[in-house]
Amino acid sequence: MSTAHALPRMSRSWTPGKAALTLLIVAIAVAAAFPLAWMLLTSLKTPQETMQVPPVWLPASPSLDAYGQVAGVINLGRSIVNSALIATLTTAAIIVTSLMAGYGFAKYRFRHRDKLFAVLIATMFLPPIVTLIPLYRIVGYLGLNASLAGVVVPNLANAFGIFLMRQFIRGVPDDLIEAARIDGASELRIVFQIVAPSVLPAIAALTLFAFVYHWNSYLWPLTVLQGNTDAYPIVISLSRLLSYNRGAMNTGLVMAGSTLAVLPPVVLFIFLQRFFVDSVVASGVKG
Amino acid sequence: MHSQSLRSTITMLAPATGLIAVFVLAPMVLTILLAFTAWSTQTGFETARYVGLANFFDIFSQSSVGRDFKAALLNTALYTLGSVVLILPLSVLFGLLVHQKLAPGGILLRTVLFSSYMVPMIAVALVFSKLYSPTEGPINQIIGWIGIPPQTWLSSPKTALFSIVLLNVWQQVGYFTVLVVAGLTQIPGSLHEAARIDGANALQRFLFVTLPLLGNTLLFSAVIAVINAVQVFEPVALITQGGPVNSTNVLTYHIRRVGIERAQGGLGSAMAVTLMISLAVAVGALFAFAKAREARTA
Repeated sequence: MSTAHALPRMSRSWTPGKAALTLLIVAIAVAAAFPLAWMLLTSLKTPQETMQVPPVWLPASPSLDAYGQVAGVINLGRSIVNSALIATLTTAAIIVTSLMAGYGFAKYRFRHRDKLFAVLIATMFLPPIVTLIPLYRIVGYLGLNASLAGVVVPNLANAFGIFLMRQFIRGVPDDLIEAARIDGASELRIVFQIVAPSVLPAIAALTLFAFVYHWNSYLWPLTVLQGNTDAYPIVISLSRLLSYNRGAMNTGLVMAGSTLAVLPPVVLFIFLQRFFVDSVVASGVKG
Repeated sequence: MHSQSLRSTITMLAPATGLIAVFVLAPMVLTILLAFTAWSTQTGFETARYVGLANFFDIFSQSSVGRDFKAALLNTALYTLGSVVLILPLSVLFGLLVHQKLAPGGILLRTVLFSSYMVPMIAVALVFSKLYSPTEGPINQIIGWIGIPPQTWLSSPKTALFSIVLLNVWQQVGYFTVLVVAGLTQIPGSLHEAARIDGANALQRFLFVTLPLLGNTLLFSAVIAVINAVQVFEPVALITQGGPVNSTNVLTYHIRRVGIERAQGGLGSAMAVTLMISLAVAVGALFAFAKAREARTA
């Protein structure tokens, strides 16, 4: 495999080795896609088909009934709006706070800068469970328990965003910033009108990271919402689908709900994947 | 050149650092302080009463709290070990397959692997709970085709934790594959060329050129994989509730149950501090291992 560097890329002729390698790649891709394919197929089956032993793989006559039922069991529209609100507001705020702090750490010199940055970066590696118990109480003090605001407010800034923005903003030429200053632009204006447009790929990457993370997040909303079902995001509503009519023919229902929860992050990924890979490279290897 | 004022420095940094200070750093410090107190999560911080190390004696005692915590600590360690041991080699293999230019399909594989990383863990847990079903699930059917007898997966204490490891590996491996690809991209082709001229075959080039130069990537991957693994929550909360027979009770689930649901904030904080210390030890060990290996090869 590592002979890649020495050979012309994708020579046109098929050799047995190349065919075997392609087969292996496709086999792994199919196996990796299988759980999601099964989810999608099962969401289209009849309740009887989902219970059959041995399992049937393809629905005889695919139907969207299960999706209609999901809306009957949970407040589907409300859940999706809640998820969209949580993910969008959080993401927008993270981009703003990260751009500003990333710019500060990349282009300003001040005492203890590197120490402060190191402390912030250390929080990137802190599992959320470590802060969960006091945070729950702090959010209670702010009067935000059991509300959407309680889900959103503690997540308006994060260390990863600052780190990513700093990595990319360091590459923005100082001359560009200096020229804007000479023209009389304020620092905030420089951040949002000069720096932001020149780090759009990083903003795209952070959008994807933050949106997907907060769309998918479960532990914190579950803890802070305290059973306020009106404020449930879709991922928490899914657990209500599972307990609904437990053990009976709810498999199609659960799969239909899961499909709806999976679609937004996966679709966003397909549009932004190029930037996502760049940001993984920036965060993982360049240091 | 950098003639910015103190005021603009504060303007830029205050929003992000202020939020992180209040919602991450302060709770972290509070967790450590509360670990030495008797405190109900339902009451204000001022009601916390200093009890010294009592919470730590409790969670390592033979009482029911102690037994459950030790089991959760052990389960989390096993889960983490299992995840890392599977994720690292698979991500190297998949990374090589994505990176190679000999045969088509690399981009397809990367897209499929990375899509699964986008899927909410809760949906992964729900889907796998059905895939693992002993009767109507397809996994037992598929392994039946190649003559493997049906497994109990989530319903037996012997296999439940491993089954959750597998679903975690499925969800996470795409992210680590991209890290490996990024690492591979930085290895100069001339090194492989030189090794070829010296007569090294593909396996030798992998073992003596590629793998050593992936050292930093693999260290970073291992650290991230460990930190991700100790956070496992959704599959346990949703499908197994820690069972059967406590076999999947993990720290995040247990700490939340004690600290939030039972409102024993002091005990829960002591458990969280123990988790932090364990994590620091594990990550420290990884770095020491990497350093020792570097010293040996240098």
